[in-house]
Amino acid sequence: MQLKRTYLFILGLILLSSFTSIHSNTASIKLLTSQTDYIVGTNVVLEFSTTDAVQPMLYCSNSYGSTLISPTLENKKLRYQIPANIYKKVGVVNWSLIYKSNTLSGVFHMVPKPEVATMETYIGPPSIEAGGKDYTMLVIIPTDSLDNPVPKNTTVNAKHQFLASEEVDNIVTNNLIAFKNIYSKKESGRMLISSECLNINSKEFTINVMPAVPVDFEISAHRPHNYADGNQVTTFSTTIIKDKQDNVVSDGTFVIFYITNKSGNILKTSGTTLDGIATAKIIHPDYGDNWSIKAYVEGMSESNTITIAYTQVIEDFIVEFSKDGRDINVGPLQSFMQQMIPDGLQVKLLVYKNDILLEKYTKTSVDGYAHFYLKSDIFKPDNYNIKIQTAGLEKTFNNTKLW
Amino acid sequence: MVSVSKNILRTILIASYIMLVALIISGVSALFSYLNTGADRSTMLHTEIQKVEQYLPKVTWAPLNNEGRPIDSQNLSALQNNYLDAWYVKQIAYKTNKPAGIKDYYTDNARENLFNFIELNKAQNITIDATTLEHHPTLEFYSEDGQLAVVTDDNVVEYKRVFKNDTLILETTETSTYKMVFLLEDGFWRTRHLVKENTKIQELDNAQISLNNFKIKGINYYPQASPWNMYGDKFNLDTISKDLKIIKKAGLNTIRIFVPYESFGKATVDYKKLDRLKQTLDVAEAEKLKVIVTLFDFYGDYSVLDWTLNQRHAETIVAALKSHEALLAWDIKNEPNLDFESRGKDIVIAWLDNMINLVKSVDSEHAVTVGWNNIDSAPILKDKLDFISFHYYESLDVLEEKYIHLKTEIPIKPIVLGEYGMSSYNGFWKPFGDNDEDQAVFHKKAQDIFKKHDIAFISWTLYDFTEVPKEVVGRLPWRKRAQEHFGFINKNGETKPAFRYISNN
Repeated sequence: MQLKRTYLFILGLILLSSFTSIHSNTASIKLLTSQTDYIVGTNVVLEFSTTDAVQPMLYCSNSYGSTLISPTLENKKLRYQIPANIYKKVGVVNWSLIYKSNTLSGVFHMVPKPEVATMETYIGPPSIEAGGKDYTMLVIIPTDSLDNPVPKNTTVNAKHQFLASEEVDNIVTNNLIAFKNIYSKKESGRMLISSECLNINSKEFTINVMPAVPVDFEISAHRPHNYADGNQVTTFSTTIIKDKQDNVVSDGTFVIFYITNKSGNILKTSGTTLDGIATAKIIHPDYGDNWSIKAYVEGMSESNTITIAYTQVIEDFIVEFSKDGRDINVGPLQSFMQQMIPDGLQVKLLVYKNDILLEKYTKTSVDGYAHFYLKSDIFKPDNYNIKIQTAGLEKTFNNTKLW
Repeated sequence: MVSVSKNILRTILIASYIMLVALIISGVSALFSYLNTGADRSTMLHTEIQKVEQYLPKVTWAPLNNEGRPIDSQNLSALQNNYLDAWYVKQIAYKTNKPAGIKDYYTDNARENLFNFIELNKAQNITIDATTLEHHPTLEFYSEDGQLAVVTDDNVVEYKRVFKNDTLILETTETSTYKMVFLLEDGFWRTRHLVKENTKIQELDNAQISLNNFKIKGINYYPQASPWNMYGDKFNLDTISKDLKIIKKAGLNTIRIFVPYESFGKATVDYKKLDRLKQTLDVAEAEKLKVIVTLFDFYGDYSVLDWTLNQRHAETIVAALKSHEALLAWDIKNEPNLDFESRGKDIVIAWLDNMINLVKSVDSEHAVTVGWNNIDSAPILKDKLDFISFHYYESLDVLEEKYIHLKTEIPIKPIVLGEYGMSSYNGFWKPFGDNDEDQAVFHKKAQDIFKKHDIAFISWTLYDFTEVPKEVVGRLPWRKRAQEHFGFINKNGETKPAFRYISNN
């Protein structure tokens, strides 16, 4: 009887153990960790209860990548230590336990923490136009000490100072960033911008508020005298060029002066502004002329038209030929007070034969005279027509015999 | 006498001296010119770099309604290109655990996160072979100075294969939503922040498309003059029209044709060839024949990073033909189980699985199948396919038995015998091969079985061919010769005895 009982007991044990082994083959691994939201940076361990000694790997994937984690098994608990590069980045983390039909899977969230370590600030464009229409955009990406963006709707103070005004705007983060358009005022100048989030301040940024496009202006001309002596310099200058808000345009604004003379030719001179005023110089003509002048900041604004007249200074001049006709002396060339014209007046000599221009010589006067020599190896002895031009005057000597 | 020999000596000496010098000079000059060879200097400027399409997941932008400045199409496309390149370098980095290319597409801070993962996975010999198949980006923000952008990419379909010690551990398809901040640095849109906002394992509803009880009596078709190269320079619509008339007259109702992947232009489909394919279908429609289009002929890569290119190829072709009246079904790939050994069974099946999803996503009306090379492979992906097709070149004696077995295994889906036939070659390379009469007997027997069990069939093939490309059966002449003689019509255009049993009416 005793024996029978023992047999039964042993049989029962065998039966029981076979059941347990079937039981463990179907394995019950259950998730013990119930927490699904973790502040980023906190250590995350996923724990599973198991009835078996198997140690399946855990697949785990976050924003940047995926990996496999091996467990440690103690007291029928599988512990999966989530690696630092996963728990230190915000975002959803999905996992699945690689065991048989792979039914156990889930997600947990690494939620951003309300802490700021750096204020990444981007601002642009770096210079804008005065007048209240143009703006620059301040973009702030506050990041925590683990280089994660902060939670949505975190308040950021966007601060800016301009002339007498200092303003603070409360903006909130959305789509990982916070941004603010900062508009210019009427005045030009320098705008200083900074931002603050959770008591962390950014550094200072500077925006140049440039004057807007200039409006029309006026010009004037200054000259030592009104004689066309080809020597003195006439200076043109503008009034202070301003934009429509009365801001003086930036130094270096390029102003170009167009001069139209009596015969319709155009001369140009140019200058850049300094404190709003541009000046440009041009030498006097060497013959009497009427100039009309208009200045432009090209594509933006223009000036009024002014006219100035230059009086002819040389009324007449003498031309002397040597005996063989080859030495030609032009002069004396005399200015408005009968003084010898200053050196540099242009004198041209043109040699024609049968109305065909053979040669043209240009010289400048020295001490009131210009001297030409027609070489015999260029001009064979013959009759030539010779013209002399200077100070807008012309003299013709027909059939001049060169020996 | 002495002086003569002296002169000879002198001449020999001088001549040998000159030769020696010439030899040395030519040697030195050869060395010098060798050292001067190398890359052309003009290549230093990198002026000839052409963009190679290597990663083309389907990208669908949400309508532009972003904060900040409106974006122009050129900048948007630059952003998209750099974003996809960022994915591509990331996939390669995780596949190889090498950080090459990461620097170009991730900012100083962001790239650290990737480097950490590479280090972690490298230490444990974990590699991840992944690709993304779909992106649905929304531009959230574009800064005034055009240097910063925020994009939310919704439902990115990511396919991953996770390996440890080169063993496949996990295969998963996830759909995730990412939010990203991009900075324009050195002309690259670099990822600054990357946050996965939600993710789930992809689940697809596997809608079945029926063949509407259409009884396939078909034939695999290539023109006689251009087998395996139907849409090339020898494309002739008159020939095709004539052939299809013969097929229709013989009592058949379906043809199965092939679209070679590479010669159709891979990811950027050659529209000329696509048009020829369309014309072929037009002719089939005129003859009231249905067409099964077999995609990816001569393709054999299957590697995960090639998938996006394959899918663009299939997408273009399927979209172009899906509303064609003549189209009956899509055969995703001809005999893919032949690549199981060389490429790995699981990757080929994963490729097919995803390709079926893609084709079904573009064309929800036409049935999809895979032309398995043998009846034993037929149950693979049976739940996914709309009808089962297998090829049969074994003895007809066991066909009945095997078919009945398959029918019990897959009772609800139509089963089509996609290829069968017999070569009538018995020449020099196979002196005791079957002749035309044997072929006729074979086809008669086959048709008897089909009639008995009501089996849908597509025979191989209409013509005997004169030239079989080496890609089809290799270079061995006995294989090539055999492959040339499967037709119902011989090389002279005469019907062979088997032609009587091309169909069963």
